[in-house]
Amino acid sequence: MILNNSMVASDAFEKHLINRKRKKHWGIKAAGFTLMLTSMVDMFSMLVVFLLQTFSSSPEILVTKGVELPSSITPSQVKEAPVLAIASDGNLYLDQKLVAKTSLISKKPNILLKKLDTIKRNWAKSHKTPFTGEINLQADREVKSTTVALIMGILTSSQFQSLELAVVGQR
Amino acid sequence: MRKKTGLGTKKELDAQLNLTPFIDLLSTCVCFLLITAVWIEIGTVEVKQSHGTEAAAEEKDSYDLDLVFKDATQMRLNLKKNGKRVRKLDVKGESFESMLASLNSAITGKFLLNKKGLIKVATATVTPRSSVNYGSLISTLDILRKNQIMNIGVLTAKGN
Repeated sequence: MILNNSMVASDAFEKHLINRKRKKHWGIKAAGFTLMLTSMVDMFSMLVVFLLQTFSSSPEILVTKGVELPSSITPSQVKEAPVLAIASDGNLYLDQKLVAKTSLISKKPNILLKKLDTIKRNWAKSHKTPFTGEINLQADREVKSTTVALIMGILTSSQFQSLELAVVGQR
Repeated sequence: MRKKTGLGTKKELDAQLNLTPFIDLLSTCVCFLLITAVWIEIGTVEVKQSHGTEAAAEEKDSYDLDLVFKDATQMRLNLKKNGKRVRKLDVKGESFESMLASLNSAITGKFLLNKKGLIKVATATVTPRSSVNYGSLISTLDILRKNQIMNIGVLTAKGN
């Protein structure tokens, strides 16, 4: 087999033949090299299998723009649930869509409560099991903890009682 | 290798694999997987807002731990049994990190010890302050989770 003007062997015997042919011409030209195709294909296959196994085991959530997540030494696995995000500029996003400023939500929580009710109604339509009350909460690490606690309070009052605070794992 | 079949016609049994497109496919797969991979491991810290719900009333004679932030370097621990405070401890530090170290030693040390041994905390509640940022709150929750206190709630607080 010839690949890029250099001879390559697909098996051990072919490699032996190529080497013998090259040795004959050592005095004249020794610019060729052998490529171990079998090993290379093995390596590629193993790499593909490893990458597929590594990256398909857990669900991934999108981190909202403008949110720098805090780090944690005890993270659990991410669960698939709606994502509520508090950005560093004070904007509140629900599933990547802007809801309002957190300062406005603290005065008028109905804006958020209506959106949460829609999520609950959609859940009831698509699931037969009772509502689990799970929600992923992403907040920038520099946001005031009282602001996050306030949003948590609104979520709790709307039956979202299992809050998953998104963090960057430090294992 | 060729073999004779019953009809007498010669048919090749060995299949030849075209290696070039095979290697192309594998390389493309490797590149695609490497580019689309998410290298930052995102996890979650679970918070159960159990106050006033059934979860809080599950165990009788259980101990609850209250962590109340006074500011970023100071907090008060209240150990409660059946809603009544039985112990209190002020945890201080020069910086937030040293305060966290003091909190960790308090939880693993005398504060949660009685005659029977280490007290099992059923629920822990953290009351934040506006002077404490969210990153610090998560670090505090980390200390609790590291010490097997998993049922954690965060209270809404007002003021500084």
